[in-house]
Amino acid sequence: MSDQPKLAGRGRLMSMFLFVVIAVSAIGYLVGLSDGVPRPDGVSERSPTDVAETSAVDASGKVIPAVSYAEIPATPMGPTVAYQAKPVALSDQLAYDLFKKIEPSEADKLDSSRIRSSRRAYNGAPPIIPHAVEHTSDAACYACHGGGVRLDGMKASVMSHAYLANCVQCHSPPPPTPFQDVPHDVDNHFVGLAAPQAGKRAYPGAPPTIPHSQWMRESCNACHGGPNGWAGMESTHPWRTNCTQCHAPSAILDQAIPAKTIPMLPPLDVVVN
Amino acid sequence: MDSKRRGFLKSAAMAAASSMVLGDGEFSLPVLGAADAPNDGDDVTWNKAPCRFCGTGCHVQVGVHDGRVVAVAGDKAAEVNKGLLCVKGYHVGGILYGADRLTKPLLRKDGRLVEIEWDEAIDLIAKRIMDAPEKFAFYGSGQWTIPEGYAAQKLMKGGLSNNHIDPNARLCMASAVTGFLATYGVDEPAGCYDDLDACDVLITWGNNPAEMHPILFSRVTDRRSRGENVRIIDISTRRTRTTDAANDYLEMDPHGDVAIALGIMNQLIASGTYDKDFVEKHCAFRALESESPTLQGEAISEDEFRKRIAAYTPERVEELSGVPADKIRMLGKLFGDRNLRITSLWCMGMNQHTMGTAVNSLVHGVHLLSGHFGRPGDAPTSLTGQPSACGTVREVGTLAHALPGGRVVANPDHRGQCEGFWNLPAGRISPTPGFHTVKMFDQFTKSAEEGGDIDTLFVQVTNPGQTLPNLNKLFNDKEILKDKFLIVSEVYPTATTQLADLILPAALWVEKNGIYGNSERRTQQWFKMVDPPGEARDDTWMTIAIAHRLLELGHEGMKDKDGEFIFAVKDDQGEDIPIWEFEHYYDTNVDKHLFEEYRQFTTMKHKNLAPYDEYVKARGLRWPVVQQDDGSWRETRFRFAGFDDPFVAEGEEFDFYHSSSGDGRAQVWFHDYQPPPEVPDEEFPMWLCTGRVLEHWHTGTMTRRLPQLNRAMPTAYVEMNLQDALAQNIRQGETVVIESLRGTTQLPVWIDGRGRPPRGTIFVPFFDETKLINNCTLDDHDPFSKQPDYKKCAARVRKLSEASS
Repeated sequence: MSDQPKLAGRGRLMSMFLFVVIAVSAIGYLVGLSDGVPRPDGVSERSPTDVAETSAVDASGKVIPAVSYAEIPATPMGPTVAYQAKPVALSDQLAYDLFKKIEPSEADKLDSSRIRSSRRAYNGAPPIIPHAVEHTSDAACYACHGGGVRLDGMKASVMSHAYLANCVQCHSPPPPTPFQDVPHDVDNHFVGLAAPQAGKRAYPGAPPTIPHSQWMRESCNACHGGPNGWAGMESTHPWRTNCTQCHAPSAILDQAIPAKTIPMLPPLDVVVN
Repeated sequence: MDSKRRGFLKSAAMAAASSMVLGDGEFSLPVLGAADAPNDGDDVTWNKAPCRFCGTGCHVQVGVHDGRVVAVAGDKAAEVNKGLLCVKGYHVGGILYGADRLTKPLLRKDGRLVEIEWDEAIDLIAKRIMDAPEKFAFYGSGQWTIPEGYAAQKLMKGGLSNNHIDPNARLCMASAVTGFLATYGVDEPAGCYDDLDACDVLITWGNNPAEMHPILFSRVTDRRSRGENVRIIDISTRRTRTTDAANDYLEMDPHGDVAIALGIMNQLIASGTYDKDFVEKHCAFRALESESPTLQGEAISEDEFRKRIAAYTPERVEELSGVPADKIRMLGKLFGDRNLRITSLWCMGMNQHTMGTAVNSLVHGVHLLSGHFGRPGDAPTSLTGQPSACGTVREVGTLAHALPGGRVVANPDHRGQCEGFWNLPAGRISPTPGFHTVKMFDQFTKSAEEGGDIDTLFVQVTNPGQTLPNLNKLFNDKEILKDKFLIVSEVYPTATTQLADLILPAALWVEKNGIYGNSERRTQQWFKMVDPPGEARDDTWMTIAIAHRLLELGHEGMKDKDGEFIFAVKDDQGEDIPIWEFEHYYDTNVDKHLFEEYRQFTTMKHKNLAPYDEYVKARGLRWPVVQQDDGSWRETRFRFAGFDDPFVAEGEEFDFYHSSSGDGRAQVWFHDYQPPPEVPDEEFPMWLCTGRVLEHWHTGTMTRRLPQLNRAMPTAYVEMNLQDALAQNIRQGETVVIESLRGTTQLPVWIDGRGRPPRGTIFVPFFDETKLINNCTLDDHDPFSKQPDYKKCAARVRKLSEASS
């Protein structure tokens, strides 16, 4: 007997809970729409390595149904249907114009900064790999990141440093496929160094100094220019190729000199009358 | 709250906020630093430190802002890593900030942990030692800094006349030590990392440096990227990332390395391509005595050696090792070619081995016999897994049988010298070696009635509750023994603190001063940069505070010959600085005092160290470091080689000046192949091998607190061959039970994963404290080094449904 009211109470709670869940999802969806996710420079939900999803695929992702030979021609394999359709659209991509006028926007810069920082423990840390990887050989990484790729709203960054072997030695990948669902959150209070917003200028209009280390960032174009740079961070004059001719690096940040103070001759010994 | 601190909290809040915006956002940085947040460089102080993790010994530049580590950069001035780091090193700063840092001493009362004050904790330990000094044991670590290990060593052997001190390095590189001693009469590698820049051929013996020593491996593979030719030969029991970069992969059966080394020597002798000149001038031959064998063995003639090695033909080696005879001939030919420079690398594969001493000696023998020794690029190089296994364990001698500077307790002269340096009365140091690791824990987990005569155990900087082999025998029994008292100094909760009676919160890495010694004889110093959290304190301080409390309780051993406290440090006026009180510990640099005292011990074995201040200036120096005529200090890259080693007389090409045959010769050993102690059978049909992965270091106490690394490798797993999995109907990701005669553990399966074992072999990394593979491993160990074999035992894999039924 006493079960009855309890059950009813539970039912009420459950419907309230469901209502909240639905409301949150609806708001999330609308917010998502208004935000225009996925962001063009972020990681798309889709990935070139995604396999086709058919209705027969088990949602848990654990069972991959076998296909008989007869079914093969009708079975989508490889890239997704949406992706397969894309090569047609590729021709719409505008060729990169070196001399296009660049008008950097603060909003773009903020977006780019946010995405960049979401992938690093601190400014200067090697970014984690934000997408699924099946192959971690150097060649596999190089295929996209050697020269950079911009495809269908997705972007593979250009490496900012010279060729180094064993990429996953520094760039940590997402969990191995069989362990994707293993919870990996951990509570850590480390607060990393923020990325600099801008270099210092001696006077308005002066070329800014380089506010970060150049170590592992020898290729300025990886972020600041070329077709694969970051929106809002582009150089307004990408055709000029000798960056440090105008933008002074920091010897301390580059670990170039061991001294903390700049060695100078002693001041003149002037006798004051 | 000052404005900087406030600014920082604001940035932290920003970080949290942006993490809500993004999916993978727990790594988010403050996008727009608050107005007074550090803007790279300007407000950040950078200082050098060696990385906290492995034995490679990379230097990092640590960026500190407002009392917190905020960034890390590879140190461009460091010769070891030349500005590069691995994924662990780049994230090393985060190890200080895991949310569950231990910050208060905790005492177990009626089964529950309660917070106590430091004074009470130190008093409790001192009284337990006072009650029964001989039943106290100290279990230390290759992650001890040199001063930490030296202080523990002095407290035990010089103060308590108790030799029950042993480190986790016993589980890690003890066989490397015995291999060096047997071959050269003195420990540690003759070559250094410079060999990696010069070798034409790199042979990895049961070693996966692409994951375990990535900086060293990329030092070789980056040479290829620059257009140089380096042939990498991987001899292994499974395919790894090292195999991916190798030109040749020789898959051997477990234990096959012994046979392969014998096979190469057989080929060198049979074809007459060994280096006759080098052998005649600089080598002698040696083998075990037939009755009661010793580490020193007995001299044998070259003819006798030839006779014995003749049995190990390539065909016989193929039978024993599974490596095709042709490949053994190929290796023989390579070593027979003196125009090539050949470097061998090994680590746990050869050390965690019931024939560890033998296989270490044999690989040195291959290099000596072939003359691939002592020229840059020609080196047998043993790597270590811990940052100061060499510095603190092998050099300070924090082992049950050893004394600082390559001395042993059994030698009366050595004891006398140590008593001299420590100003102790003659006879203070006990001549009987204490318990080695396996024995120590055996005695600790046995009741007093059964002869378990260790009842108080102090563990510093290590996690035996996860790393000991056969945990059910050597650790877990502690739980039911009420008279045993386990003291653990730790930074985070671990498998060991689960059974601890007293937990002491420790300072970590740049929260204290330190000195490490890496794999290539390089001694590296760093300064404290940030404060430890809460009441966490330095391990050296703990040892000195315990010693001082013992002194107050009237323990005579805490005084030297003149009645002074054994850890006394005086100020300029000759007054005692009370370093046993933590608030005064940093009134002076205790590390420097201990290091300068320790330096005196190092000259006997020609492991000379420079004064502390020289290390402050350098990114480490490789010993022997000797002073030159102009007053500067010079390090040594190639030991025993006349062109570089200051202790080889001028004009001599080589001199093994600690030769065990007393004639300047190195020993080329012969050992017969012995089968492993346990082999797969019908009931337990699989070989079980354990090891590590790139992202996690050892028991994961530090790396599993780092979001970036945990994301990349969230769980331990069992690697299986596809065919084995198919045969048992086991699917990718399925949780299975691994069983051996000794215990079980559950793990998810990774088929053809990061490593690809052949049929009949499974591999499990040991970093995951929730999936203890050491329940299954074997405590059988090498007869000389006492190092257990974690690399092979018999096991079976069962589906969860079968195991539970």
